[in-house]
Amino acid sequence: MNFTFSEDQILFRDSVREFLNNEVTAESLRARWDTPSGRCKELWAALAELGLTGMLVSEANGGLGMNEIDFVLLAEECGRAALPEPLVDTVLVATPVLQQAGKDDVLAAIATGQSAVAVQATEGALVADAEFSEYLILQENSAVYLVSSADATLELQESIDPGRRLYSVSWDASQANVLADGDRGVALQAKMFNLGALGAAAQLLGLSQRMIELSVNYTSERNQFGKPIGSFQAVKHHLANVAVKTEFAKAPVYRAAYSVAHNLSDAAQHVSHAKLAATEAATQAAKSGIQVHGAMGYTWEVDLQIFMKRAWALAGAWGSRGEHKARVASAVFGPERSLGAGQTFASAS
Amino acid sequence: MKLSFSAEDETFREEIASWLAVNLGGEFEQLRYRGGPGDEHMFAHERKVWEQAMAKGGWTCVGWPAEHGGRGLSIEQQVIFHEEYARAGGPGRVGHIGEGLAGPTIIAYGTDEQKKKYLPGILNGTELWCQGYSEPGAGSDLANVKTKAVLVEGRWRLSGQKVWTSLAHESDWCFVIARTDPESVRHKGLGFFLVRMDQPGVEVRPIEQLTGTSEFNEVFFEDAIAEDILGEPGEGWKIGMALLGFERGVSTLGQQMSFQNELNEIISIAKQNGAAQDATIRQRIAEAHMGLRLMRYNAMRMLSDNSGGAEDSAALVYKLHWASWHRNLGKLAMDVLGPDSELVESGPYNLSRLQSMYLFTRSDTIYGGTNQVQRNIIAERGLGMPKEQRPQ
Ligand SMILES: Cc1cc2nc3c(=O)[nH]c(=O)nc-3n(C[C@H](O)[C@H](O)[C@H](O)COP(=O)(O)OP(=O)(O)OC[C@H]3O[C@@H](n4cnc5c(N)ncnc54)[C@H](O)[C@@H]3O)c2cc1C
Repeated sequence: MNFTFSEDQILFRDSVREFLNNEVTAESLRARWDTPSGRCKELWAALAELGLTGMLVSEANGGLGMNEIDFVLLAEECGRAALPEPLVDTVLVATPVLQQAGKDDVLAAIATGQSAVAVQATEGALVADAEFSEYLILQENSAVYLVSSADATLELQESIDPGRRLYSVSWDASQANVLADGDRGVALQAKMFNLGALGAAAQLLGLSQRMIELSVNYTSERNQFGKPIGSFQAVKHHLANVAVKTEFAKAPVYRAAYSVAHNLSDAAQHVSHAKLAATEAATQAAKSGIQVHGAMGYTWEVDLQIFMKRAWALAGAWGSRGEHKARVASAVFGPERSLGAGQTFASAS
Repeated sequence: MKLSFSAEDETFREEIASWLAVNLGGEFEQLRYRGGPGDEHMFAHERKVWEQAMAKGGWTCVGWPAEHGGRGLSIEQQVIFHEEYARAGGPGRVGHIGEGLAGPTIIAYGTDEQKKKYLPGILNGTELWCQGYSEPGAGSDLANVKTKAVLVEGRWRLSGQKVWTSLAHESDWCFVIARTDPESVRHKGLGFFLVRMDQPGVEVRPIEQLTGTSEFNEVFFEDAIAEDILGEPGEGWKIGMALLGFERGVSTLGQQMSFQNELNEIISIAKQNGAAQDATIRQRIAEAHMGLRLMRYNAMRMLSDNSGGAEDSAALVYKLHWASWHRNLGKLAMDVLGPDSELVESGPYNLSRLQSMYLFTRSDTIYGGTNQVQRNIIAERGLGMPKEQRPQ
């Protein structure tokens, strides 16, 4: 049993963090708010160059052939940077779905950075980054479709988060490419939902850490009553509570990645737990973050808003809190399940 | 990352499970599920006999290195040991302060002679220990310890008072932090002493708790002889803090497993009395389930990190999480029981296990560092926020 990441995984994470730190600055994010697409093709190409877009694409299709566990730390970094480009959806959600459907050409295009793929969480839902992406994975009834974004009519819907680009999509299912339907379609939809929720959870975890950093920095520098406000316990305790929630959200996110990567039967429950824990951490980081910033936190100018608004958006994406809690509750109360101490830390190999 | 046990580990599971199935019966049957939080006063003598039976089977101190008489189990097998112990309803371990705290500290800081003298009693389950840190003037502010240690003809003698000393009335030994240098203040000038309880200079007075029972005590030292000092005079703070580090390690596993038993009991009551139909109760039970999972996951992260460093932040937040979780569980238990939770059913203030647990869990957020103190530590040490002014 070993619940840690390997040295290589950590090193890769660190190098991606550094890259995003340099390339995705607050100024660059703000600059993109004012452009129609809100996205940067050059950055996408650079991400592909680093091997990130093709991380989960098989080696045969030009990718790195890694899995969800390898990527989860990077999804966390995407959250920390509030990266606007749809890396998490393309890598963590679309890639496994396309792999299962054997769409080699699209997969190869993902690996080279030629194509991004946007995904629809549930039937009729708005699709993030539909315009930036060459392909859309859409749903209708029990089927999952692959649609070229050129064949769909997209209408931008403004989000409270100026970094998000959400689209309503009109399309003709009868003309579209079916990835799966019937029981297999339902199963694929469930898989997509779990992957999407895992990706949102990992990003929320990163967002939460970023908001803590901003708040710690601010409260260490701002003086009142002749001292840094961060020396006051009331301020400290706000951030300590967030730190606890955040630290405790890591393990369920990593555990969910493991369960998803190994197709364990508990994966859905683990994903829900991850999404709930990370949502709680990030929403509390937002709430306490703005409080300890005082009026500054309420301004357009201070960067906290970038991360706060992303956190609020992702908290509601890929299943509400109620939905995820209900999934956990039904697992807890399910008759077939012995909760006993025998439901062990880990499973027999 | 690999979250599964090996075949060898599973063989080990069968070994401990079948040992418990055979041995935790007969005279010990009545001990199943007893002696947990809020119930420590129950069957104290019988549990000591049980401890010795465990020792004969080689099941005490399973995580200690073999060279010190332990079983030298890997982390995985310690996890399994605790899982199976909890599954069998193994009683609260009366020896846990010796096994989890005193022993590892003596192994780390004791001389060979001291190890030979003190470890066997812990291994055999014949000698129980208690922790003499807190004093009337030294609670959260532990460095304010006033108990004095004076060297008289080559022997350290202690005078002063400790308080809240758990199980002092059952213990053979106490480890005591006392001031060796009368001129010193705060963390400096302290020593870490090993003191025999059965001597004229030591008096133990039980303190009645919210539960109506007594698990902790006042302990008075009047020229009491300290059998030994661990390390040097002046090293008391360092050793005392190192001991608290052991508290966060593997010894948390047993506790978690007993939490699982409590949660299971609450779930089965909720299913029986219909509380499980209530949407808020369902949610709270789901939350409790997730909160306990978090403890497991966090323990796995802490324990599978051999470097001891990278997962420090996980260790730092652990106490605050479990203490708050357990306090909430106590309240959940009462809410699941509904109006019946108020009624004492069998004789004068003879509380049910869950009632005792509810009251006991009011103290979880106090002992071992209060929630407020934990938050200070997380903010200053974990997040690096500006330090509050404290006496140096
Ligand atoms: C059931 C139980 C068993 C125990 N067993 C033992 C034992 O075996 N051995 C032993 O040595 N001790 C034991 N203790 C004592 C325990 O460690 C202390 O109670 C604890 O350290 C708190 O000290 P105190 O009770 O003096 O509270 P105080 O320190 O007086 O605290 C009172 C309140 O003030 C707050 N406070 C104090 N200082 C600060 C600060 N700097 N910032 C913010 N808030 C602050 C606290 O959070 C708390 O809310 C036990 C206690 C209990 C309840």
